[in-house]
Amino acid sequence: MLTVNHFILLSAILFCLGAVGVLIRRNPLVMFMSIELMLNAANLAFVAFSRYLNNLDGQIFVFLILTVAAAEVAVGLAIIVAMFRARENVDVDEVNELKG
Amino acid sequence: MLISPELILAIFGMLVLVVDLIGRARTREWLPWVTVLGFVLAFAATLYIWGSNASIFAGMYSVDMFSLFFKLLATIAGTMIVLVSIDYLRGRTTRQGEFFSIFTFSILAMTMMASSASLLMIYLSIEFLSYTSYLLTGFLREDKKSNEAALKYFLYGAITSAVMLYGLSLLYGVSGSLNLTDIATAFANTVDPSVRTVALVAPALVLAGLGFKISLVPFHQWAPDAYEGAPTPVTAFLSVGPKAVGFAILLRVALTTLPIYQASWIPLLAVISIITMTLGNLVALRQTNIKRLLAYSSIAQAGYMLIGLVGVNLTGNSPFSGLNGVLIYLFAYLFTNLGAFICVIAIENATGAVNIADYAGLVRRAPFVAALFIIFFLSLAGIPPTAGFIGKFFVFGAALREGFLTLAAIGVINSIISVFYYFAVIRAAFFLDAKDPSPIRITPLVTAMLTVTAAMVLLIAVYPQPLFNLAAWSMGMFGVVK
Amino acid sequence: MSLLVFYLFAAIAVLAALGMVVLRNPVHSALSLALVFVSLAAMYVLLSAPFIAVAQVMIYAGAILILFVFVIMLLSPGTDQGVGALKAQRGLAILFGAALLVLLIAVLGGAVLPPTRGTFTPEAIAAEGDTQAVGALLFTNFLLPFEITSILLLVAIVGVIVLAKKRQSISKQ
Repeated sequence: MLTVNHFILLSAILFCLGAVGVLIRRNPLVMFMSIELMLNAANLAFVAFSRYLNNLDGQIFVFLILTVAAAEVAVGLAIIVAMFRARENVDVDEVNELKG
Repeated sequence: MLISPELILAIFGMLVLVVDLIGRARTREWLPWVTVLGFVLAFAATLYIWGSNASIFAGMYSVDMFSLFFKLLATIAGTMIVLVSIDYLRGRTTRQGEFFSIFTFSILAMTMMASSASLLMIYLSIEFLSYTSYLLTGFLREDKKSNEAALKYFLYGAITSAVMLYGLSLLYGVSGSLNLTDIATAFANTVDPSVRTVALVAPALVLAGLGFKISLVPFHQWAPDAYEGAPTPVTAFLSVGPKAVGFAILLRVALTTLPIYQASWIPLLAVISIITMTLGNLVALRQTNIKRLLAYSSIAQAGYMLIGLVGVNLTGNSPFSGLNGVLIYLFAYLFTNLGAFICVIAIENATGAVNIADYAGLVRRAPFVAALFIIFFLSLAGIPPTAGFIGKFFVFGAALREGFLTLAAIGVINSIISVFYYFAVIRAAFFLDAKDPSPIRITPLVTAMLTVTAAMVLLIAVYPQPLFNLAAWSMGMFGVVK
Repeated sequence: MSLLVFYLFAAIAVLAALGMVVLRNPVHSALSLALVFVSLAAMYVLLSAPFIAVAQVMIYAGAILILFVFVIMLLSPGTDQGVGALKAQRGLAILFGAALLVLLIAVLGGAVLPPTRGTFTPEAIAAEGDTQAVGALLFTNFLLPFEITSILLLVAIVGVIVLAKKRQSISKQ
């Protein structure tokens, strides 16, 4: 019997994988991809809850999250591209003009 | 027309873009004034709907006195920042139209955050404010520091907003609705202990996103770099805007949805407050760059404001309800911090200096600015007779009323510590000799803004009654709920 | 039957996510992520949300991922230091991830959902059509978020152009 717990468990696993990815990887692009994984985990949770509560609000939320995430990716990649134009390498460990 | 402020801001945001597009080069001179006109009209619209208490758009958007208070703050902050950024941007970028347009939309996002009463609106408006902030931070795209600031700000913000979103999904799951009031009812009606556990963990995740906007520890790490690298008017905006409306959402969520679990999150917030104040103040002591110093200072200020929420108690007739402390503090902080940053902008426009060492001899080179630095720093430290003192008085008073003696004591100690690093700037300005003693010219617009902010800081201290009334009005809706 | 489908796509999703985190070449990571997106779309179909499934594939796998690959190719074709963190940092991160997972499972495992209060049962959705139902809601109850999202997209477009457009030559002063 497929219950909501199956989906929530999967969502939690994906969320944690994304979190680990953010912490481990140094390339901002891959960090960003890990963040997208975390967002997708949240989306899965929303749709799962939506199904089992017989409520469509979750699906609407996910649809709007998809749109907002697309805009976020555009903005983030623009920032990365702008940074690349000003310097040659894109490595989070190496950007240290601003004193930590 | 309950959403008229938002409509006006949206229209003017697009109007600035259109005017920039079809106008000639000389029209660009008018763009900041078009923006200011938009803010003034939005301010007027907010006053026009003053006193309303309505929940529109199927309960998602709550136009009540609480949100109107923050809309006023937003338009005031917007106007002042646009006026001081005119000169700043002149030599640094040709894309002024886009700057003012994006900035108008960020003020729009602020007004939406103040009124959000649904998880969906909270997420959308926070993301909206975040994107505009990232864009504004990285706006000087040839400046490496600006790029780096934007990148760090962006990565940090995206991570915390993903965490927050996960928390929002859990809140939806255990309550069955996206509206804050429905969630509150759901929490009140269930007795299942497993739901209670989720109801404690999910808001903690949501706090990641809100704490990021307010710059609470441990979600503060983006602030020093973002503040230092961003164009200084944007830094001024970041230090007051997101903080104010971040608190608006935090207050709304905490007091509408979670009063049942108050016993659980108050200790957590108290701990966060202590760590935030202390870390902010201690690290500020070591800073040599004025923008980073003010960044750590505003991190610490968020800690002080949080004390007001910790000491919240909406029953009874005491003048210290904690909530009014936060509102008063935010209002005072708005003028104080903006004033301090406008001083920094004034000096930076003329000399390009942002290091405290370069402020040597300021008393001779720009006596007006040096004198105002004293006023603003006194207010930030909470020393009378300034607005900052009034803010701290009410916040610490609320903590004392609820019995949080240690918290209030730590707050006072931290205020004393902060005097040391503020004084470092004053010392450089007044007691050191300048390498280059030429006088610094301050443009009339900046002088006007400085006068206004300093006047407000002193005025609030001397005649605080209107502010008290304003805060009392704004709290009305919470009184009803509790 | 649906249980089997769930486990199949769940396994694919987890393995692909693991691949994304571990693979050295960013393009390989991006492709793994695409696999995660597609398997999640399959999940959404299982959850009676076919419209969201199609939107997921179109927006995430079709637009966002393409953009990622574009930028990866633009910035660092092939040369990447991969998993660059120190051993200790990596170990700590994995430990943190595992602890977080345990915490989440403990909290969520036994949670009981509130009694269903909605009217959109899977049968009702299938009868009316998911797209129709979502569309109707978007233009009635959720009108404000919908319009705000459109403004948000406008601002994003303007901002991206400002940041990423190639430098203008002289005359735009």
